[in-house]
Amino acid sequence: MFGRILRDFCRRPALLDGQNVSRYLHVTLPSEKNRDRRSYLASVPSKDEGTEGEKFVYIDSAITKKEDMFPDVNTPNMLFGAVKFSEVPICHIKSSSNNTILHVTKANGERIMIRSCGMEGFKNTRKGTNIAAQATAISLAARVLELGIHTVRVKIQGLGPGRMSSIKGLTMGGLKIISVTDNTPVSWNPLRSRKQRKL
Amino acid sequence: MKHLKFISRTVLVRNENVDEACRMLNRIMGSEGFLDQYRRTRFYEKPTQMRRRVNYEKCKAIYDEDMKRKISFVLRTNRPEPFPGCY
Repeated sequence: MFGRILRDFCRRPALLDGQNVSRYLHVTLPSEKNRDRRSYLASVPSKDEGTEGEKFVYIDSAITKKEDMFPDVNTPNMLFGAVKFSEVPICHIKSSSNNTILHVTKANGERIMIRSCGMEGFKNTRKGTNIAAQATAISLAARVLELGIHTVRVKIQGLGPGRMSSIKGLTMGGLKIISVTDNTPVSWNPLRSRKQRKL
Repeated sequence: MKHLKFISRTVLVRNENVDEACRMLNRIMGSEGFLDQYRRTRFYEKPTQMRRRVNYEKCKAIYDEDMKRKISFVLRTNRPEPFPGCY
């Protein structure tokens, strides 16, 4: 609006030393450009990092009791189908922005099965989507169930589109998840990281 | 301090409600500042950027505190005059 008024105003020929000199002051393009970028950024959906529930609280979960949701001293000895909690196989999930790697190990870290979105047939940017992560998790769950593993503990690392969807995929594939652990490496005095991306 | 495996940063799933557990974990990680710190350290933050960010956070904290006090003042119950300023 402001740009339009200014443009109309400047379209009038200005009198300079008795002769007509018409000048144009262009302000519309820069201002419109800025507005376009702002509206574009507002319309772009926010990046899925698998951090659902970080900012907003669901009312039904807020009013329920949470004491039994956190482990205590006795948790490692809790029995889940005749197996101790500390001996249940672990599913390590490493989700980055470009890929998701799922890795099922025994409790001592021995490998049982590893699958990633790239191995599943997704290539390039499609690897870094929540759909790819979910599909990978479902196929992994099917393979692991054949080996006779029905319950796993989940250990997630990193933020990425596969963070939540791979866990969802594991449950959809038929695995029973008994605990969710975050293992994201976070440091408060980190090494100097790589330089900022230029956009 | 060494953090015990599957004791720290762990949420147990109850009633097979995995979504609830994940949301709880995310909320705790977010409110403790782990996720913000992780996002911030993906790329190097220049000292000028850090100063700007810290100053902004300070200002925001002051503003939030004031606004919180104002809102609680306006929304207070059991006040002697129920509608102050309205006749």
